[in-house]
Amino acid sequence: MSIIDKLLNIDQRIIFFLMFIALAFPILNPVILPMAVQDYSRKAFEFSDSIPEGSIVLFEGGLGAATYPQGGPGMVAQIYHMLTKGVKIVFFSIGTEQNVWTMKAIETALDKLPAGTPAENGVNWVHWGYIAGGESGVGSLVNDIRATVSADYFGTPIDDIPLLESVNDASAFSAVLWWGGSEGSMPYGIRQISVPFNIPITGMCTTNEVPNFSPYISAGQLQGLFGGVRGSAEYEYLLHLPGPALGQAMATNFGGLLWMVLVILGNVMYFIQRTRGEA
Amino acid sequence: MDAEILGLIVGSLVSLGAYSVLIGDNPISKITENIYMGILGGYIFATNWDFINKNAISKVANGEPVYIISILLSLMLLGRLKAKYLWISRYPVVLTVGVGLGLAMRTTVMADFLGQIQATLLPWNSFNNIVMVIGTCVTAAYFIFTTQESGAYKYINRAGRAFLLCAFGVAYGQTVSFRFELVIGRLVSMLDPRVSMYTYAFIVIMAAILIYGYKTNKIEWYTGR
Repeated sequence: MSIIDKLLNIDQRIIFFLMFIALAFPILNPVILPMAVQDYSRKAFEFSDSIPEGSIVLFEGGLGAATYPQGGPGMVAQIYHMLTKGVKIVFFSIGTEQNVWTMKAIETALDKLPAGTPAENGVNWVHWGYIAGGESGVGSLVNDIRATVSADYFGTPIDDIPLLESVNDASAFSAVLWWGGSEGSMPYGIRQISVPFNIPITGMCTTNEVPNFSPYISAGQLQGLFGGVRGSAEYEYLLHLPGPALGQAMATNFGGLLWMVLVILGNVMYFIQRTRGEA
Repeated sequence: MDAEILGLIVGSLVSLGAYSVLIGDNPISKITENIYMGILGGYIFATNWDFINKNAISKVANGEPVYIISILLSLMLLGRLKAKYLWISRYPVVLTVGVGLGLAMRTTVMADFLGQIQATLLPWNSFNNIVMVIGTCVTAAYFIFTTQESGAYKYINRAGRAFLLCAFGVAYGQTVSFRFELVIGRLVSMLDPRVSMYTYAFIVIMAAILIYGYKTNKIEWYTGR
């Protein structure tokens, strides 16, 4: 068996081990390479920055245990951004696990806020918690909030929450921030809120879903998009709020580099075999 | 011990157990898998029960009888548990699918159809726009299956296939990157300086168990690639 044959039939566990090293190394020894901000992220940031003070925005928190490390830093940055601008936020999640992670992001952002920033629960922000029913649940929620939600995440009846006094349906919101993670739920926001109520929407999805949602940006139905950990890193960078995403984005680069080398090597060896008539 | 640290340590142990499946199916990965499924099932049940309790049962108790309908429909779903009563569960399923479809279709034409067509009608004043318009047209043309692949259509078909392959390549690359990010997310928690010593200890213990298992043939060594 030639070296090429041996390499083409290499045990996949060796590749897993190499990948583990490539991903763990930048985490243990942080290396920051130059990074350009993507157009979609810049658009999403500029849109968020243009939301006027005093507005109320609807915020879907769709990050779970798996996706929080990549989207969480960006979500924290977005909450921080809105609260420091004086924008009020109404949170909800359409996933059972996600509503807890949304609360974690809120707590992390609250801890980072500069002293004196108004961030009182029920006045500057409210978390409705889990809303069942997927897209139907979203449709029901935005058309008649009080028929769908009776209490917030902490069990406070929504009629006792000052922020929600004049909020009965989606028309009370100036914008929708949809941090859908890997839920694939961003079209729910576009179909149920953005199009019928004519409310602009932006948000975040995991890296693999960016190609699915980019046509919505081209069509102007989505104002911008933060994609995966890189999107989070770019939000931190644009907001001048250094966080953990930048280091993670660098680890992704190292992994991607190794993967690319392996793909190219595999193809070159395959073509060599084919020219020899062995493949 | 701080609850966050305890969470990180347990997370590290469970993650390593799950990743051990990369070496091959083994008892540690099986235990992790079953613990995960059990906890997840229980958590989903508890959260949904809380939602139903807050938004349906308590509303009925507070004098809003209309919510009895939703409770009844939910109970009818349980008919699936016995073949004899399966037909009962079909009514809430039909209602759910019907409402879901109706809600989605209401704005799908605007959001997913007209909006996308409008976005493709771009002026030919930049390279990107030209690629976008040509790419959309030839890719759509690739799916005309009622025409013979000959003449000019043959080249349109090939161009459409090339654009599709480019799109699949992008999707593949993004998916690989997403998987890296999932692993990195776990590694960041596992290699957190506060718990990294536990992670290294877990690696050594698991390696010892697996080596013993493979050496004594108590665990079957996966010999595929």
